[in-house]
Parts: sequence; structure tokens; C-alpha cells
Amino acid sequence: MSGLLDYVPGNTFLHRLHPLSKLIFSFGLCLACFLTQNHWLVLGVIVCSLLQAALAGMLKPALAVLRALSKLSLLLFLAQVFFVRQGQIVLSLPLDIYITDQGLSFSCLFVLRLIAVTLPLFIMLSITRMSDLTNALTRLGLPYKYAFALTTAMRFIPLFGKEMSEIMEAQTARGVEFDSKNFCKKLKLILPLCLPLLLSSVRRIENSAIAAELRGFNVRKKDSGYKRYVLGRGDAAVLGALVLILAAVGLEHFYG
Amino acid sequence: MIRIDNLSFAYGGGEKKVLEEISLHIGEGDFLGIIGPSGAGKSTLAFAVNGVVPHHFNGDFYGRVTVDGLDSLEAGPEALARRVGSVLQDIESQLLASVVEDEILFGLENFSLPRAQIEERISYALAAAGISDLRARAISSLSGGQKQKVAIAAIMALRPKIMLLDEPTGELDPQSSLRVFETLSQLNRLHGVTIVVIEQKIMMLCEFAHRLAVMERGRLILEGPVEEVLLYPEKLEAAGVNIPRVATLAGKLRARGLYQGKTPLNIAQATAMMKEATKDAALG
Ligand SMILES: Nc1ncnc2c1ncn2[C@@H]1O[C@H](COP(=O)(O)OP(=O)(O)OP(=O)(O)O)[C@@H](O)[C@H]1O
Ligand SMILES: [Mg+2]
Repeated sequence: MSGLLDYVPGNTFLHRLHPLSKLIFSFGLCLACFLTQNHWLVLGVIVCSLLQAALAGMLKPALAVLRALSKLSLLLFLAQVFFVRQGQIVLSLPLDIYITDQGLSFSCLFVLRLIAVTLPLFIMLSITRMSDLTNALTRLGLPYKYAFALTTAMRFIPLFGKEMSEIMEAQTARGVEFDSKNFCKKLKLILPLCLPLLLSSVRRIENSAIAAELRGFNVRKKDSGYKRYVLGRGDAAVLGALVLILAAVGLEHFYG
Repeated sequence: MIRIDNLSFAYGGGEKKVLEEISLHIGEGDFLGIIGPSGAGKSTLAFAVNGVVPHHFNGDFYGRVTVDGLDSLEAGPEALARRVGSVLQDIESQLLASVVEDEILFGLENFSLPRAQIEERISYALAAAGISDLRARAISSLSGGQKQKVAIAAIMALRPKIMLLDEPTGELDPQSSLRVFETLSQLNRLHGVTIVVIEQKIMMLCEFAHRLAVMERGRLILEGPVEEVLLYPEKLEAAGVNIPRVATLAGKLRARGLYQGKTPLNIAQATAMMKEATKDAALG
């Protein structure tokens, strides 16, 4: 069983890319989504991400993330669409509630962007080893210590999730019912569990820091890295594709 | 190799002394087992050896700890880390990489091992821990026992003079536990590595360790060669240590004057003990 943000091992074309290319490509896609106003471009990024996931052999977890995001998106969409007052009214409801074409367009773009920004990052994190990501960040000028802290912090996110579900399982075994439909009731049950979770998390983070220290983390030198990364043709292709996408966004911006 | 003199320690902010006046000498090439109930301070004692106490956790530290001639207070944790390879009790949070081979590489890189040696060290450590087939696996996909072996391999790759392991078989099945102890024993015999292992499975310690230290509520209540420590079954049981039945039997036979020898640690010795104890009975 692999959880969210866990590394998905493999030796596909995408896995073998230079970690810096993966980083730049995924953040580049996010940037493109924020810069463009074009729904189709954002949709294109989503399709492109799913294609990447398929190439990397991780379509299933990517679709799971997409499903979860879609649920959240629906909520956000509904929360937004009624608040835009400008534009032509397309649907009018009693009590002065209505939906305009601009509202529809704005909310759609918002939700599409949310999905399009999450997927590339999710895929990048799933196919990049933490040590490679750390090394890539140091190439960008971040000191090793900070880069390591950042990637380690990321690793703790799924660990929290696991711990939370463990605590909830233990409580369920004691007769606590979490599947309550009532949101407030559910929150009341979950909130008291947050303190023990926080405490055990602090312990774990401390333990990780100790483990790193005990294995010479503090004596690491600039040239201590063993792995050598080379830019290959794949990297050129991926970065080239990114340049094209950004160029399309730019053109659309000025002429669209 | 390791000298602990009159060590007392209380964690910062805590009133209670977690370690109280502990004195313990561990010679080069020794194999020491530490045993005791939960909360006795075993992990804290291990932290005092690898310098985490007092360098990481500060608190009230009295006494002196020297490791390979270095005073733990004066020497930095880095100098100690080069000498002492530690496996911590919590497995999950001490693994720092995504993939098994990266985990082993981490320490090797940090200590700037020559490039030419790195590959050999990685394969050696994986083979020694019996996990060569897990090399490219994602750590998140491993079982608790497999993770434990990865943590052990990561330390073995560094070839430290001293290996300090805090309940390294806690998540392992009996077969794998035995393998871990066999590996430790081999390192100890063939390479003279000093081994200090905290372990709840007394049978493992009886079979592989040379010396035993028993802790209870921050104090060292018994320490010595395994056979000698087993001469005090009442003390051990009072400290919540489940001693082997055969040791209890040896104690009873000794009390009745039927047996004077060492406490048997394996079947052959136990058979010999029974022969001696029943010798007179058979005649009479
Ligand atoms: N970081 C800490 N800060 C404060 N107190 C601590 C800390 N770690 C441990 N203690 C306390 O020190 C005492 C000894 O703990 P320690 O972990 O050394 O015991 P242990 O013998 O290893 O137990 P176990 O068998 O459960 O691992 C306990 O009372 C514990 O609550
Ligand atoms: Mg402990």
C-alpha cells in the first residue's frame, strides 16, 4: 500500500530525468496555469499531467488524487459561483440569487487551476527521490541543511496522515463512531485527537533530527554528494516542451 | 572503549533523575546486552553514549562518559558519531530517504567516504543485513521488520568501532531476530566491533552477549558476565526481567546444593547440569 506523496519507484523515462528538470517542469506548469486566462490551456495542463502519470506508471494514485480534488473543487465552485455579480445572468433563482456567465467562467477557471497546479507537483514528488530533490534544491542555491529540512518536512505529511488514521482506528475499536454524518459532531470527535498527534509528531521530528545528526549530517561538506546527475536528451525535450507551453501562454496573453 | 563514571541525568525541565549514578565500563570487543523494564532509562543511557545526551537533549548532567578516549562533553557529537553507530528505538522516523540504497548512502556521503569505496560499502551492508533484494524498494512500502534491517544496514555500512542498538529486533520475527544477532556476533568476533544492544528478548542476550547490564528506575542493578548475572534470578524477576526457566532451575538446584557449576545457556550445558544434579540421586 502506498500513501499520498510516497515515492513510486520505477525506471521510466520520467524517473530518469535530471531532478532539476522535474522540479523546473512541474513548477513551470504551475506558473503557466496562473498566468493564463484560457480554460483550454489549463485543461491541457491537466491532461498533460495525467499523461505524465501514465508514463510514470502511477496513473492509479494520480486518478485517486484527481477524484479527491474534484470533490473539493465542487464545493469551492458552489461557494464561488453565486458571488460574482457582473456579467449576463444565465440562471436566476429566487431570493436575488443568480449565476452570471462571468461567474461561471471565473469559478471554472479557479477550480481548473487548483487541479492543474496540484497534479504536476504531486507527480513530481512521487517520482523524485528525496535525496535527489534535496540535491536539486542545493543546485538552486539553497544550503543543504535547509533543502534537507524541507524535503524531510514533506515526508512527514503522509506520516501524519498514517498516524491520524491509526489513532482513529484505535478510538473506533473503543466504540467511538467517526462515520457520523453530522460534520460538527465529527469535528468534536476529531479535535481532541489533535493534541496527542501533535505531541507524537514533535517527538518524531526530534527523532529524525537526532538520527540525521548521528549519521554525520553536520559534517557534510559541499562536495560530499555521491550521485552525479547529467542532463540528457529527455531533459532537453521536457524543458523544450515547457518553453513551448509558456510561449503559448505569452502569445495568448498579448493577442488572445 | 566506553567508560561511564557516576553518571546521573535529568532531562531539562524534569525534576526526576532518569539516570542515577551509573558506572559501567565496556571493554574493546565486548558484547553487552542491556535489559530492563519500560521507562528504566535504557534509551537515555544509549543517548549518553552517543552524545545525544547532553548535546541534543540538555538537562542536568553529572559524571563522566568517555568513548574511545574522548570525553563526551568535550568532544562534539560528530566526533562521537564517527565512532559509535547508533540504531534508534523508533524505526519509522530514523529512516530519512525514499529508497533503501539512498538510506545507506546518506551516512557514507555525510562522512565523505571516497567514491571508490561507496558502492562496495552499500552492497556489503545490504548483504550483511540480508536485504540485497530490497535495494531499489521504496522505504514506505517496507514492513516494520524490513525497515529495522535497513536501519541496521545503514549503520553497518559506516563500519563504526562501536555499534549501539536500541531494541533492534522489536518488530522482527524470531527467525530474523536470530539473524540480526548472528550478524552482530560475527562483526564482534571477526572485526572486533564493540556491541552494545538494548534488548527485551533475554534468550537472545543469553546466547550472544558476553555481559549483561540490568536497569531499573534509572539505576544499574546488576552488571557482569551473563552467567554471573543469571545467578540472581530473584533480583532479575523483581526488575521485571523474564529470566529463562533453566536459569531458575539452576538457581533452585544450587540452593539445594545439588549443582555448583555455571548457569547453562544452551541445551548441551543444561543436559550436563541435569546429569550432575541427578548423579547423587541416581546412586542413592
Ligand atoms: N525527551 C525526553 N524528555 C523528557 N523526558 C524523557 C524524554 N525521553 C524519555 N524521557 C523519560 O525518561 C524516562 C526513561 O525513558 P527511556 O526512554 O530512557 O526508557 P527506556 O528504558 O528506554 O524505556 P522503553 O523500554 O519503553 O524504551 C521515562 O520516564 C521517560 O518518560
Ligand atoms: Mg527505550
